[in-house]
Amino acid sequence: MSATIATKTLRDQRRGLIGWAGGMVGLVLMYAVFYPSIRENAGQLQKYVQSMPDAMKRMFGEGLDFGTPVGYLKTELFSVMAPLLLLILSIGAGGRAIAGEEERRTLDLLLANPVTRRRVVLEKFAAMVGAAATVGTALWVGVALFGPVFGLRVDLSNLAAASFSAVLLGLTYGAFALLLGCWRGRRGTAIGVASALAVGLYLVDILSPSISGARWLEKLSPFHYYLGPDPLRNGFSAGDSAVLVVLAALFVGGAVIAFDRRDPAA
Amino acid sequence: MEGRPPGTGTNGGAIAAERLTKSYGRSRGIVDVTFEVLPGEIFGFLGPNGAGKTTTIRTILDLIRPTSGRAAVLGLDSHEHAIEIRRRTGYLPGEFAAYENMNGRDYLGYFAHLRGGVDPERVRLLAERLQSDLDVRISSLSHGNRQKLGLIQAFMHRPSVLVLDEPTQGLDPIMQQEFHRLIFEAREAGTTVFISSHVLPEIERLCDRVGVIREGRLISVEDVGTLKARALRTIELQFDGPAPRGEFEGLPGVRDVEVHGDSLRFTVAGDLDRIVKTAARHRVVDLVSHEPGLEEIFLAFYGPDGGAPEGAPEEEGKAAP
Repeated sequence: MSATIATKTLRDQRRGLIGWAGGMVGLVLMYAVFYPSIRENAGQLQKYVQSMPDAMKRMFGEGLDFGTPVGYLKTELFSVMAPLLLLILSIGAGGRAIAGEEERRTLDLLLANPVTRRRVVLEKFAAMVGAAATVGTALWVGVALFGPVFGLRVDLSNLAAASFSAVLLGLTYGAFALLLGCWRGRRGTAIGVASALAVGLYLVDILSPSISGARWLEKLSPFHYYLGPDPLRNGFSAGDSAVLVVLAALFVGGAVIAFDRRDPAA
Repeated sequence: MEGRPPGTGTNGGAIAAERLTKSYGRSRGIVDVTFEVLPGEIFGFLGPNGAGKTTTIRTILDLIRPTSGRAAVLGLDSHEHAIEIRRRTGYLPGEFAAYENMNGRDYLGYFAHLRGGVDPERVRLLAERLQSDLDVRISSLSHGNRQKLGLIQAFMHRPSVLVLDEPTQGLDPIMQQEFHRLIFEAREAGTTVFISSHVLPEIERLCDRVGVIREGRLISVEDVGTLKARALRTIELQFDGPAPRGEFEGLPGVRDVEVHGDSLRFTVAGDLDRIVKTAARHRVVDLVSHEPGLEEIFLAFYGPDGGAPEGAPEEEGKAAP
């Protein structure tokens, strides 16, 4: 039996969520398997990457070193693939939360129960947090478990900090998709616009430092507060995490207000 | 009808709409809808599709907000006390979808939990009466069987007010009968029932009073008897000899008399007493009475050009601008 809107929403995704968590572990495993051979050729790779334009270098993460576990994980896993999975998961959940129920015509009866619209939005967001946290945990477990088998040994609390930051990044965009869905009631629009914004601001983050006088632009991108402080090396950065938390909170608050003011479709 | 104090507000009605208006840019919506549903009555809300029935209902339940005017349920303001109203109201949307990936039991359990729990025996009994198999996944249920789940969730917490938007859509005749019994039992228990429909016979069978809505405006609220008396219906009589046209043409309320061989076809307003007594003087082979459609009702109210109720219907007219 489903207890609350949040647990019901999570229950709906349970199969998907097992897939997401398994996929994340599989991704980690794939990168871990390649680590030994990459480490051997680290010198050559390093030279090759050094010859790339600055922006491309930043795509792999600043201060490249393929030869160390931290450098390798940051470049291969944490700079693109891990946050990408978390973004897709969270943005999808944000779009489905309200707008998805609205388009499937299940929303009217849900709202006819003695629950406030605010509670519906907050529980939907709680479900999103639960899903992202599950996949973020899978990321941590995957690296902690399979990394050492292939010589990828990193500080586990720094790994936790990096995984946590990746989850926060996903939730920030997920909350934005939730806001769009609450505001417009269209799942496709919410997911599309949030995804486009994520890609756009990702590019801002990696390109702006290469443009003279534009480096400050990177501060506009949520990615900057995810990888900027290099959590895998330096551990948890309260200030940067706080920026993402505040952003997500603003989006969720906006979602509550937008949904409360709108007439959902029958 | 009199009796229980309906709520804490000043309004006496179980449901009250006061100049309720909802504008949607263009023409759709409702304009100045005002009515009151008395505690314990079954109130019908009759109108063609797109007339504003669903808009009115969703505004009353605070699912959408009125452009102007206000509504109250059990004396409580629709918006201000939306949660308390929903606690005491059972609602069946006109077009709703249930969660495809659940079975009926989990679906009802979900809503029961959001309501703080309902009597499982009540759910079991409702499912039994409506012949709803709660263990079947909703994705493989027919439209009618989904509708049953909608009905069960509306009835299961024994609400003080039932708001049902086209409740019998997709139900087979036997289930409609059972549904009617449920409605009458609910009234017996003091529940106020608000039913929208676009078919008159259903409203006739169930309701004490009926509000007629067309193109967003409530054009009349009447006792069902009055509505019936006003409604035009078409009668076909077949005799075993030449049709006695002249005897019928003179009867009050009868018009548009046509003769086809031994049959007579005409429309009549009000009751059929005179018709039957006149026909009884002859040998009647067959008698067919067509249920009045909505258009006939509107014509009875407005006539072809929005004029007097008794105007002869020559062509279709519009009642509202």
